[in-house]
Amino acid sequence: MAVCPVYSVARREAYVARGKLMLIQAHREGDPALTRKYRQVITSCLLCGSCTQSCPNQVDTAAVVQAARAELVAGKKIGWFKRFVLKRILPSWRLLPALLRGARRSRALWAKKIPEDSGLYIRFSGKPRRRIPPIARKFFLSRDESSVPHTPQKPPGTGLKVAVFVGCVSNYLRPQAAEATVRVLEELGADVWVPRGQGCCGLPSFGVGEMESARKLAARNLEALMPADGPIPDTITTPCASCAAMLKEHLPELLPDEPRARELAERVVPFSRLAAKLGGGAVKGEKVAGPLVCFHDPCHLSRTFGEKDAPRQLLTSMPRAGFIEMDHPCKCCGHGGSFNVAHYDLSQAIARRKVESVLSSGADLLVTECSGCLIQLAEAVGRKRPGFEVITTPEALFRFKFDKPTSPP
Amino acid sequence: MDKSVVKELRGIVGKQHVQSAPEEVALYAYDATPFAPLARPDAVVFPGSAEEVAAVLQLANRAGFPVVPRGAGSGLTGGARPVAGGVVLSTQRLNRILKLDPDNLQIVVQPGVITEDLQDHVEAAGLFYPPDPQSREYCTIGGNLAENAGGPRAVKYGVTRAYVLAVQAVLPEGTLVRLGARTVKSVVGYDLLSLLVGSEGTLGIVTEATLRLIPLPESRGTLLSVFDDMRAAAAAVAATFKSGVLPAAIEFMDRASIRCVEEYEPAGLPRDAAAVLVVEVDGSPPEVERSAKKVESVMRKCGARQVRTSAGEDEAEVLWKARRAVGPALARIAPIKVNEDIVVPLSRLPEAVAGIHDLAGQNRVECACFGHAGDGNIHVNLLVDTGDPDALQRADRAVDSIFDLVIKLQGSITGEHGVGTTKQRFIGLELKPEVIAAMVRIKQTLDPRGVLNPGKIFPES
Repeated sequence: MAVCPVYSVARREAYVARGKLMLIQAHREGDPALTRKYRQVITSCLLCGSCTQSCPNQVDTAAVVQAARAELVAGKKIGWFKRFVLKRILPSWRLLPALLRGARRSRALWAKKIPEDSGLYIRFSGKPRRRIPPIARKFFLSRDESSVPHTPQKPPGTGLKVAVFVGCVSNYLRPQAAEATVRVLEELGADVWVPRGQGCCGLPSFGVGEMESARKLAARNLEALMPADGPIPDTITTPCASCAAMLKEHLPELLPDEPRARELAERVVPFSRLAAKLGGGAVKGEKVAGPLVCFHDPCHLSRTFGEKDAPRQLLTSMPRAGFIEMDHPCKCCGHGGSFNVAHYDLSQAIARRKVESVLSSGADLLVTECSGCLIQLAEAVGRKRPGFEVITTPEALFRFKFDKPTSPP
Repeated sequence: MDKSVVKELRGIVGKQHVQSAPEEVALYAYDATPFAPLARPDAVVFPGSAEEVAAVLQLANRAGFPVVPRGAGSGLTGGARPVAGGVVLSTQRLNRILKLDPDNLQIVVQPGVITEDLQDHVEAAGLFYPPDPQSREYCTIGGNLAENAGGPRAVKYGVTRAYVLAVQAVLPEGTLVRLGARTVKSVVGYDLLSLLVGSEGTLGIVTEATLRLIPLPESRGTLLSVFDDMRAAAAAVAATFKSGVLPAAIEFMDRASIRCVEEYEPAGLPRDAAAVLVVEVDGSPPEVERSAKKVESVMRKCGARQVRTSAGEDEAEVLWKARRAVGPALARIAPIKVNEDIVVPLSRLPEAVAGIHDLAGQNRVECACFGHAGDGNIHVNLLVDTGDPDALQRADRAVDSIFDLVIKLQGSITGEHGVGTTKQRFIGLELKPEVIAAMVRIKQTLDPRGVLNPGKIFPES
């Protein structure tokens, strides 16, 4: 109860590990049934792992909750719309992009631009108005070889072979994150490419318990990243720690009969850890005056990967920006994937506390390394301080270290 | 519970603040007591004001259902668990710090405020709220008042009661009253406030508390003393006071506790020691230095084989985190721990600790002792392996004989955790029948229909 972000704003037993475990256990003993209220409790977990981290017995509440969700889905106890999106849309390599292209063209109908930055308000979404990043004109994965390498660029045996997995947010909404990932790793001497055929990592499906589509996506990504006949990378990285966690922890679980799945998992390294390993944290050039950045540790990065040092090593080494620590950087942002949709108010209440930390830190920008955190915090901070930028680690590195500085007019 | 009653409850607190579905009420049948819950409530309500609390109690008296107050549900003796259905009344919505009054060294808070949040808030203003139950990261002020919570700092600073100036509370029949005074001293009429604090939620529900604050000590020093003889460690406690030092805390951990902690969150405590004492002294820097030196010399004279003074705040915090981790760390060894918090006079502490270990051993139960040695208050943990069919019974027998021993040593069967349901059958060991009868009469006078937290403290006749 001391560490659960949901309990800290909701203050009810259903919203803390103890309550959830009690309820799931009671259900397994026959009472209660899979009712709507039961579902409400089961969906109200961020799967952030804070409870496990401070539990003396390391009870993996997130895993228990996820399994309970899978049971709900198997029992067809989730809404038809949710099922439709998770089963038909997310895993489809044609339907999802087509829908998003259509959404982009028709955005005047359902969204309004935010005057101070490039984000969008969703109309008719009630108070407070939900905000999302704009949909990219050209999806990152559709860009051709002239701007994005889709195969290794150097002969075999030269340079560390790194395949980049971009994830949906970098593909459809923020291609600059994927682009920066490629450019920075290239600058650090790796042979980088973005395999075609990759799709959604499957975490939204997995998190909700929709195992069938999660499995489909896992198989698809396995083929794209570790092709049966194609270049095998030494390392697989991504600008989103949640995608990384999904590929490393759960993809092999979903494909237990595929030895390549374990090989894939072994190769997954979150971006900052890889960049730091390749020397990205070496101080280069003199420090000049610039903005201050702070870092929000995504749960999947600090807890699943146990990585807190690498992003800081990188961010403190940038010549054109300084780094400052915010209060409680590892506290969950409250996005929690489906949690944000099913429990929007709670999600925003949790985010508000992070917003306070960010804005009281004195930083000018927020850096993070997870798509979910980025969208959540961009929305929440943007509401209080419109125009406040939230960017990914590769973008920060590129902008303040590796890109040629723009010369003064 | 009658549907019409649920409807009335909704009318009082609002529909969204009443829970009555089976999935919802199941989650309020338990607290942190390590035994299976006894009964589910029929409904759980989350009032948002003192008036709503009063209205719920009035309804309870009219309709004849029990009301069980609940803070964070972190109690260990069943105080927040319903015994016979009824309504659990949660204070979680009453969670605001209302007013910090630094000029008068007071703070007014609602009962759902988390203890550590309160402490952080006042410390930021250079003030101090000493009572520090070790669950302070999540336990609430209301619960602290109900149990008259202690903590390590009680040895120097006193328990919760010493810091309650006044409360607004709802009495069992639903009357909203103010007890106590905003001034530090006041002796008008009977001291009902003292009656309420520590009454385990059976004589009233606190809806607002005015708490006393003191200036924050400038600095603190922490010493760890290692002993090869448990009795020697226990004797060193009294010796410390005799030397003229009043430590802010003097905590004891036996070998079993040390080992558990080191397995779970290592703090560099020596695993081969029979016992350690963690002593904290506070005050101005010269005072701290002087006291620390005195303590060190006392410890050595009493046979400590090693005395380690913490170099700074960080190291001190490591030691304290280790101390706080004993509870959770013990949970790793056995799923159930029978947890008793006995108190004995300081001079009998060595006998008590040795005796407890003997009795546990005789009943073949593993035992870990740790706690507020400075008050003679030891948390006795009997570790029960649920796989062992006989284990719980043996632990119960051990508890019986331990309580007998404690009474013989002129001690008390509970220093802080309260009686609740778990120690009901033992209060006769300590309280004479006429005393119990007088207490029961007071309860009956204030709560004629027996509505507020029934089935606690006094065994049903």
